[in-house]
Amino acid sequence: MRRSIAPLVLALGLACGGGGGGTDRRTLVDSRDNYDPRSLDPALSTDVPTGRAVGYLFDGLTRFTPDARVEPGLATSWDVSPDGATNTFHLRRGVTFTDGTPFVARQVLASWQRVLDPKVRGGRGWPLYPVRGAKEFADGKATSIAGLSAPNDSTVVVTLKEPFAIFPKLLAMPVASIAPESVPANFGERPVGTGPWRLIEWKHDDYLLFAPNRSYWGGAPKADSLKARIIAEPSTAVAEFQSGTVDVLQLPQSEIRDWEEDSERRKLLASTPSLELVYVAINTTRGPLADVRVRQALNYAIDRSIIVRNLIAGRGELASGVIPSSLPGAEKTRVGYQFDTLRARQLLREAGHPNGIDLELWTSTNPIYVRVAETLQAYLQLSGIRVKVVQRESAAAREAARKGKTDLFIKDWYADYPDAENFLYPLLHSANKGVGGNVSYYSNPQFDSLVSAARREPDEAKRVAMYTAADRIAFRDAPMIFLWFYSELYAIQPWIRGFVPPVIFNGQPWTTVTTTAAAHQPAR
Amino acid sequence: MSAFIVRRLLLAIPTLFGVLVVAFLLLYVAPGDPVMAMVGERADEETIARLRAELRLDDPLPVQFGHYVAGIAKGDLGRSYITNRPIRRDIIERFPKTLQLAGAAMLLATICGVTLGVLSARRPGGWIDRFGLGVAYLGISFPVYWVGLLLILLFAVTLHWLPPSGFGGARYLALPALALGMRSIAFLARMTRSAMLDSLGADYVRTARAKGLHDSAVVGRHALRNALIPIITVLGLDFGAYLTGSILTETIFSWPGIGRYVVNAIARRDLPAIQGSVLFLSAVFVLVNLLTDLAYAKADPRVTYA
Repeated sequence: MRRSIAPLVLALGLACGGGGGGTDRRTLVDSRDNYDPRSLDPALSTDVPTGRAVGYLFDGLTRFTPDARVEPGLATSWDVSPDGATNTFHLRRGVTFTDGTPFVARQVLASWQRVLDPKVRGGRGWPLYPVRGAKEFADGKATSIAGLSAPNDSTVVVTLKEPFAIFPKLLAMPVASIAPESVPANFGERPVGTGPWRLIEWKHDDYLLFAPNRSYWGGAPKADSLKARIIAEPSTAVAEFQSGTVDVLQLPQSEIRDWEEDSERRKLLASTPSLELVYVAINTTRGPLADVRVRQALNYAIDRSIIVRNLIAGRGELASGVIPSSLPGAEKTRVGYQFDTLRARQLLREAGHPNGIDLELWTSTNPIYVRVAETLQAYLQLSGIRVKVVQRESAAAREAARKGKTDLFIKDWYADYPDAENFLYPLLHSANKGVGGNVSYYSNPQFDSLVSAARREPDEAKRVAMYTAADRIAFRDAPMIFLWFYSELYAIQPWIRGFVPPVIFNGQPWTTVTTTAAAHQPAR
Repeated sequence: MSAFIVRRLLLAIPTLFGVLVVAFLLLYVAPGDPVMAMVGERADEETIARLRAELRLDDPLPVQFGHYVAGIAKGDLGRSYITNRPIRRDIIERFPKTLQLAGAAMLLATICGVTLGVLSARRPGGWIDRFGLGVAYLGISFPVYWVGLLLILLFAVTLHWLPPSGFGGARYLALPALALGMRSIAFLARMTRSAMLDSLGADYVRTARAKGLHDSAVVGRHALRNALIPIITVLGLDFGAYLTGSILTETIFSWPGIGRYVVNAIARRDLPAIQGSVLFLSAVFVLVNLLTDLAYAKADPRVTYA
């Protein structure tokens, strides 16, 4: 104790790092993930970062192109029986997993069984529920899935509960990807797939590094590697992009205006048609909101074009129904609810509320939605609708809405697959009230029967006509304040070739993307 | 001394148990359900009920708690509901990165803060003192996320000297350590200055000077040593805080540490991950406090823990 004071010495791993992010410019660097994937096991794919990574490592029987068409994946073609209930998938031959195992039909059955297996705890069985016996298996009432069979190594026969023409589209979702027949316990960390990339390393909360699968059936990726960085803070992602250390950036809304007005930076921008609906779910079972006139009044009471222009930099296409205009079924000629406070007040009077009404508007703490909520509050006030804005952390807000405890709730909905059904059915069909996605608790038998019939209808033209009719009903019934379809804006570095921003989040496998390494000086 | 350490470590057990109870109850009353986070945007009641049963979330609360404590007693923090990975491994993977960041920030803070404080105290009112005052004001007033973004803009985007964010060697560590350490630099500078002013005015310093000791010996060996107690207090508290809560810094600089892990776990209501990390971080905090107390005894022979 006589010696001088020991300084606070810390063993710091201050190894001088030379390489790291961004100096190896044969690597494509993505900055879009803002949290760590849940797992790399397709059966656990319930969020965007997971789904994206699973899409690099695995294939489904079908897949999305960047512009959201559905094309053959591990199935080269499929036949549908005359009654529409049996789909026979003809599998691609000569495909192998990255560990050398040949791809055969048994693996399709095993993979889907794992997705539905209660013990796997994936929680996202619904894309496979149309298969006969799938739900029973998932609920533990059956030991196998009745509707699945593999008559030979290259054929899978799927019998559906009822005809469901768009079923092949659902198979392009990450959760329906094909894994080997038996997987080890750490499969989520050490995945083996047939996809265009294979995993090199996964540094949690830091990055995932992929190398090309040289024997990929669809043509090996052209770049040397792909790095999906996990950048939690959007402003940091922007700084990374400006430093040249990442190649692709999903531009935060707060940055859009600056970039569009900058003559240099605007050249880097690329936009996608949007399959993201932003809306205010109106709980149609709560108090005055059960009256359609009140719900319409809410729609008339706000000026959406002003909100789009000022709050989201003009990136929204006003919604007049739930089907985005880029999908078949949207009625493009329909004019949405126009800002008209007199009309709103009149509707409220007719509904028996001459002195207005009081409502709660719930929102997550997402700053954009908070601002939208405050703006809506001001608009609604003009028509005598007094709104209290309730802000909750997103999980809590969503849970309240699902339990039917919110009058109004601002939310968004991203399509999982490009079809009007993916908006009409989950958001508004009465079978999906609450946790199924219909937090409006909307229930209209006529709407339900149209959507249910459309799901069964094999003829595309007839199906689309039913979508349109259902959407028209929903528009009139106003179970939501129709806000806008948000259109993502991407920034892509000038040295990147071939990157098309995907419409569906897992629709860009980076296989044809290249980087011209000499085109720039990276930050050192 | 060793009796003291043993006593403190034993006392830590009820403390940690209390933390465990509070964390468990808080999560229970907080809105938000882990199963809701697991199933994503579209689900059905049967799946939710099945997952709840699978995770034993419907057991009575004392049973759930007993189950959890039994696991802890065996050294098992459980597996994440969401990722299915063992919590222990997740923590082992991330904590060293937080330790590295916190350590670097404290090192920076000690070197800059104490130096600035000592120099300020030698000539109160002089230009170094006024400069130190300015630094302290800025360091305390500027929020860390703002400083962090400014540092990135300056050193990464504009000057291209350092990478904007990410984990790696010293080049990646510099900016987050500076952003995180700013506040400590400021506090330490002011704390050191006032403690030094006190001890520089004391009789033993006059005696030392009268003995003809060189100025650096007077300041360094006599005055600084006597000023150490408040400095150690600040260091200990800040270090504990940085080890357990540098969430903003880790987020801004994409630093894969424990702070971000906890935030993600909370967002997804990943109960075992939240409880496991809260317990672990509490243990770390208790340990840092113990080390701080031991450092007092080292610094000041009058402090004993007999």
